[in-house]
Amino acid sequence: MDRNRLQHQVACMRRSLFDQGYLDEPFIQLEELQDDANPNFVQEIVTLFYTDSARLIQNIEHALNSRPIDFDKLDDYMHQFKGSSSSIGAKKVTNECTVFREYCSAENAEGCIRSFQQVKQEYAILRRKLEVYLQMVRQAAVSRTA
Amino acid sequence: MASALPSGDMGAAEANSGNGGQMQKKPFTFNEIVLRNRLTALVVDGDNFCRLLEQGILQAYGLETQSVNNGDAAVELIASGAKFDLILIDMLLPILDGVEATRRIRAMGMRCKMLGVTACSGERERQAFLAAGVDVFVEKPLGPEILIPVLRELDGQV
Repeated sequence: MDRNRLQHQVACMRRSLFDQGYLDEPFIQLEELQDDANPNFVQEIVTLFYTDSARLIQNIEHALNSRPIDFDKLDDYMHQFKGSSSSIGAKKVTNECTVFREYCSAENAEGCIRSFQQVKQEYAILRRKLEVYLQMVRQAAVSRTA
Repeated sequence: MASALPSGDMGAAEANSGNGGQMQKKPFTFNEIVLRNRLTALVVDGDNFCRLLEQGILQAYGLETQSVNNGDAAVELIASGAKFDLILIDMLLPILDGVEATRRIRAMGMRCKMLGVTACSGERERQAFLAAGVDVFVEKPLGPEILIPVLRELDGQV
């Protein structure tokens, strides 16, 4: 693919991630941490986010399936997930985490289960979009050095 | 700092053209502050991801950093004589929570700047953390609008 077209597509995709509310300013801060000394920083940090998120999602699912539900433990896990999501700029995921914590605080099990589905959905959407975006970024980087 | 990614400038411009120019903020760079002095920081966060990220951000600003993943380790480190100009501490921590850890760190005479950086957002949590001794309560994520003024102050640039 023509280099300029690819870079234009990367820029458009990046813009849409922000315009559609999937990403927020903290992601820009991450991008600024990437330089020649750390050329893969964003990919590395995003990969770490995926690993961290997978662990937390599994923990939350296990906690939601336990009887009785330990809402304190649930809140701890979601607190961590909200923290890492907000730190990477995952705006929609962070918002859904906040909703979940409100149900958790009210010890509303059904609300927690419903909102957790939303958390997982938003996370899955973001992950798909980020994977495509970062793959395009890598392709654009390769085409620049070719 | 060079970047292989589309620049923040391009992102901001693109966003402006895409949504009626709502994103008017100046693009962020780590060059907004250049430290004149050697500053050290401790990051206390139970989450690997957040700890790594906060350390990375502080290092990008030029600070030397250490990190621990629980409140008890933070208290032990201070008790051993380690000194820091800045401590970032989360509220919910394993073994010893951030509020109690802060209380003990202050009780040991540590007067450095402490930022409580947490995903907790309630007023009750904010008051508790401030009462324990953090100077600033920050809801994650920790952004440059909070950190840069703190670093300027610590570096004597204010």
